[in-house]
Amino acid sequence: MKRTLLSILTLLLAIAAGAQTLNVQVGSVTYLFPASQTGEMTYTDGNTLTILNKVFTLSDISSMTVDDTAVTDNLVSIAYNGSSATVTVAGNVAQYVTATISGAHVTIASTNTDAVDDDEITYQLSGTTTDGSLTLGGSYKSTISLAGVTLTNPSGAAITVTNSKRIQLSAKKGTENTLTDGSGSQKACIYSKGQLQLQGNGTLNVVGNLKHGIKSASYIQIKNLTLNITSAVGDGINCEEYFLMKSGAVNISGTQDDGIQCDLGGTASTGETTDHEDEDTGNMYFEGGTLTISTTAAASKGIKADGDVNISDGTINVTTSGSATWDSDDAEVKACACLSADGNAVISGGTLTLSSSGSGGKGISVDGTLTISDNANINATTTGAIAYCSSSSNTTIKTATSTNTTIENLNDALKTSPKAIKVDGAMTISGGNIVASAKCHEAIETKSTLKISGGYIYAESNDDAINSASSMTITGGYIYANSSGNDALDANGNMTISGGTIVGVAASGAEVGLDAAEGYTLSITGGNIIAIGGFENTNNLSGTAYQASSYTKGAWYGFYNASGTLITAFKVPSNSNMGTPMAVYTSTGTPSLKSGVTGSGTSYWNGNGYSSCSGGSTVSLSSYTNSGMGGGGNQGGGGNPGGGPGR
Amino acid sequence: MKKLVVFLTMMMGTLAIHAADYTYLTFETTDGAKASVSVGNLTLTISGTTLTAGSQSFTLSNLSKMYFSTSDETTTGIEEITNAALDEATDIYDLQGHKVTKEQMRKGVYIVKTKNRTYKMVVR
Repeated sequence: MKRTLLSILTLLLAIAAGAQTLNVQVGSVTYLFPASQTGEMTYTDGNTLTILNKVFTLSDISSMTVDDTAVTDNLVSIAYNGSSATVTVAGNVAQYVTATISGAHVTIASTNTDAVDDDEITYQLSGTTTDGSLTLGGSYKSTISLAGVTLTNPSGAAITVTNSKRIQLSAKKGTENTLTDGSGSQKACIYSKGQLQLQGNGTLNVVGNLKHGIKSASYIQIKNLTLNITSAVGDGINCEEYFLMKSGAVNISGTQDDGIQCDLGGTASTGETTDHEDEDTGNMYFEGGTLTISTTAAASKGIKADGDVNISDGTINVTTSGSATWDSDDAEVKACACLSADGNAVISGGTLTLSSSGSGGKGISVDGTLTISDNANINATTTGAIAYCSSSSNTTIKTATSTNTTIENLNDALKTSPKAIKVDGAMTISGGNIVASAKCHEAIETKSTLKISGGYIYAESNDDAINSASSMTITGGYIYANSSGNDALDANGNMTISGGTIVGVAASGAEVGLDAAEGYTLSITGGNIIAIGGFENTNNLSGTAYQASSYTKGAWYGFYNASGTLITAFKVPSNSNMGTPMAVYTSTGTPSLKSGVTGSGTSYWNGNGYSSCSGGSTVSLSSYTNSGMGGGGNQGGGGNPGGGPGR
Repeated sequence: MKKLVVFLTMMMGTLAIHAADYTYLTFETTDGAKASVSVGNLTLTISGTTLTAGSQSFTLSNLSKMYFSTSDETTTGIEEITNAALDEATDIYDLQGHKVTKEQMRKGVYIVKTKNRTYKMVVR
């Protein structure tokens, strides 16, 4: 079999090598016409020669030779060499392509408005120049293939595509390509008027020295490509309509604005369309690959969508280190965010590691709603301080590690707080694994409602660990909320718990593990709860709550239901000022606790929970007596006895 | 492996179709004359009003076309005609150079001149 293969391959090579090609050279442009395609080549009046509808002025022809040069249909090769460039055009597309070369600056005009021989034209770039560029016009989709090119333009963009159709910018497998721009008026080192699909199994390095690294006036898709953007005065990637990352490895650093920004192209969103056909939403979609972004600019965003953000898979690592700043256009204090959506965000998969260290910084900031589900794996951290300024006329940014009356009395536009996850709209969590950590403000906060029905959530903060400006409803999931300075879970509306497993750790003083705002109802009709600091305003408790009058910091506990089945093993934190008592509740009946257990099995809650445990000694529990409880006892006050909650 | 062999075989077939052995580049002038030039390392140069290909030179204004061919199609400037064109004949010669009339033509090869062109005619 091997011999047969070898014979066939040898024969193939021999046939290929034996093919004749007419090379027509016009200046630095060579057109390659395979003998098999040319047919009759006509001379007219001694002035012109027409080959495959390409008309040559005879006096322009530098040379014509016949050899066995192999020709790839639809291919236009552009080779840069120092201060010059040569262009080679396949005969079957010669009639459509006009190349103009000035030094190593190549301008291509293409007139085809449809496929040529059932394919688009590919422009393949290779070689090196420190003073060159490619400008590509046309009216039909095409491919720019990077085949080991180092292209620097000191006076403009490295690649400018004026064609408004879809362009595939593809790095050939195994090649490394570097594009650098310089001074001028370009919008990016790589600019495309049309849709831009970045792909290929090679590497593309982009150095933007004037504005964005890559800019498309339409959508951008990324697949397979290893893309390194190491410098941009504006955004690393800037596009309109929508952004879609399917796979590949994208690394963005050295930007002076956002990592990736996607804007609405028109004035009104089309909404997401099937296969994104004609979509203009400003949405960003992440379906796979590895994205690593690091921004340092004040108020910069790692990922910024004018519309929605939808993450279903992939690995996303974003760090922002810039501080908050006064935005004079919007007349408000703005801060960094690793992921920012002006619309909604849906995270159903992927692994997100988001870290913001500047003042007011956020891991996730969503103006609309946030939905987390399925296989989402999120670790969001913010370590910055609260940022504020005195007034719109005194915009010097000040910082504080905790809020105070001065800050609280400021108009919202004059302050911004660091939060791991901040949502203006409703927040819904039905799955996934979330770790949220904030130093100076809430770890997870929604300005609307919060509904949790599944997933593993660990939130820690010096302020409320989890806060909702409106109602909080928990029907499932595993939640560990650890506050070292305030409430563990705090609803500024009704808090309704009918399921789930919750460990809430509140600070000492007036803080509690579960807090419904005064005038609202804390309703507990199901689930399993450990609340260090107890409950507050429990107007509806189904069953009986118990308490351990003391506990051991840093110790592991086993939490069992009425049947003696382990609900969870959990570690009590070592916070310096935790509240008392430790309330214990399970809707199954009388719970039990063991201290000093050894956790095993599945680890969750950022290492503070286990699905199994062994050993330990039984903790004595007594009836829960918290003065804050509605009705002063174990069942809800206000006419809703524990066994019959109104639903 | 079998699939690969089938694929390569198909490729070979495709290439074979495309890679006919064009060993000549044939030029045709406005008077119909043809001259074929071997394409082996062929260079075509244009100098002023003249195109030179191998040992052949052409006045550009006299060239009408060129094409790749698989055989030498060089003509003597005499073309073949059919009986219909014989009506336009002004002079007819046999291969010995004797002028003959239409009626004298027997089995053989003749040179037929019309008002505009010269043809070769085979009478069978």
